[in-house]
Amino acid sequence: MFFMHPVSLLISLISALTYAVYLDGSRAVRLGLTALLPMVLLAALVNPAFNHEGATILTYLPSGNPLTLESIVYGLAAACILASVLTWFSCYNAVMTSDKFVYLFGRVIPALSLVLSMTLRFVPRFRAQLRVVSQAQACVGRDASTGSLLRRARNGITMVSILVTWSLENAIETADSMKSRGYGLPGRTAFSIYRFDDRDRAALVWLVFCGFYIAAGWSAGGLRWRYYPTIQGTLTGAFPISFQLVYLALCLTPVILNGMEDWKWKRLQSVI
Amino acid sequence: MGNKHPRRCLAAALLAALLLAVSLCGCQAQEAPADAVPAPEAEAGKDPYLTDPIPEGRPAPVEPQDAEVTDAAYTCTLSISCATILEHMDQLDPEKTELVPADGWILQPVTATFRQGESVFDVLLRVCQENKIHMEYSNTPMYNSAYIEGIGNLYEFDCGNLSGWMYKVNDWFPNYGCSRYALQDGDVVCWVYTCDLGKDIGDNSLTS
Repeated sequence: MFFMHPVSLLISLISALTYAVYLDGSRAVRLGLTALLPMVLLAALVNPAFNHEGATILTYLPSGNPLTLESIVYGLAAACILASVLTWFSCYNAVMTSDKFVYLFGRVIPALSLVLSMTLRFVPRFRAQLRVVSQAQACVGRDASTGSLLRRARNGITMVSILVTWSLENAIETADSMKSRGYGLPGRTAFSIYRFDDRDRAALVWLVFCGFYIAAGWSAGGLRWRYYPTIQGTLTGAFPISFQLVYLALCLTPVILNGMEDWKWKRLQSVI
Repeated sequence: MGNKHPRRCLAAALLAALLLAVSLCGCQAQEAPADAVPAPEAEAGKDPYLTDPIPEGRPAPVEPQDAEVTDAAYTCTLSISCATILEHMDQLDPEKTELVPADGWILQPVTATFRQGESVFDVLLRVCQENKIHMEYSNTPMYNSAYIEGIGNLYEFDCGNLSGWMYKVNDWFPNYGCSRYALQDGDVVCWVYTCDLGKDIGDNSLTS
């Protein structure tokens, strides 16, 4: 998602989609079709409507400005970036639980990691609490889903007010509770289930290698791609192709690792 | 409680928040002044579109919405040149060097036919489309004119912070936009690229 090279963009998007489908299954497919696809199409349409740069004039818009091939291609590339960033973040959401986050950053930046994990938990908790509040309100006859529009709106506002109060109070309670348990004090240990073993070391070495190789390729210009005024870039050659292959390997690393674990698990089960 | 129920509650809560926001916005909108049309004589000596007085002997601007286009056909000369870039190649966006012609002419002087009442912009748009020359513009309501952002993929700011397209008619740089300049028979229109706010092409009105 950092490179504008169309091959890199496709690699990133396809790997992100593969991983999202692996993690979330049909939910990821539904998200892709209902949210990502329309957004991608919109982004691809909006760019040529507002940007008329490019040497290849296809036709003229009603305003008199040219519609250029380059602006359409750039719009598609931007849409591709957008889709892959969103998909990668949906994967991140599925993988990074808040205890992992606190484990990683709890000792380095205790205050910030607490705030972050609370923020990330906020929306799901808010929704769960909304369900509780709406059910309780429905029981005392202040249902926000029946009655006239005004009545529903009034009940809705009451619910929002209850929720805001609850979330503020809850934040203070959480902070007090953490403080009274000595969160962030020097010398305090925290239990975590994670260890840094040889597998992690190997994975880290692999990630650092890929990162360095791609960064070197990027700074050497092997991933350069120009969209305006004419489309131009490197597609062939041993080095550019090797950068793309390493990038593909890097993007597919989580899928490969998980696939290997699945295969191992199945094999062990079949041995029993 | 069905599965659908909380979702409807959520929708109702969102609706309530939306209503609140809309009513707040409505209050603010009423306080803001309603007229978007620039008030006449906004600044001393300037016309409604912020144009300074026109020098003696030069044509006054004709608003494109008031211009009467008749069938009478006249001719004018039009040229597009970016020769100033040749002296400032070091400042030019490296991706665009191949776009600059060796002699600086994007369009050598050509004779163009126009109908009485048409503006410099109308002729430029038509000539560019006929000659397959790329040209992008945007409309600027504040100055009631089109603004030429780029011709031949050479855009404003591509050759330094003071660069962009300007036009002159009969060797005068009008102090108003090209949609407001009504052409006369035999006018000589030159579109020139400046790298120094007009100083390098003989216009000192913006920098003095």
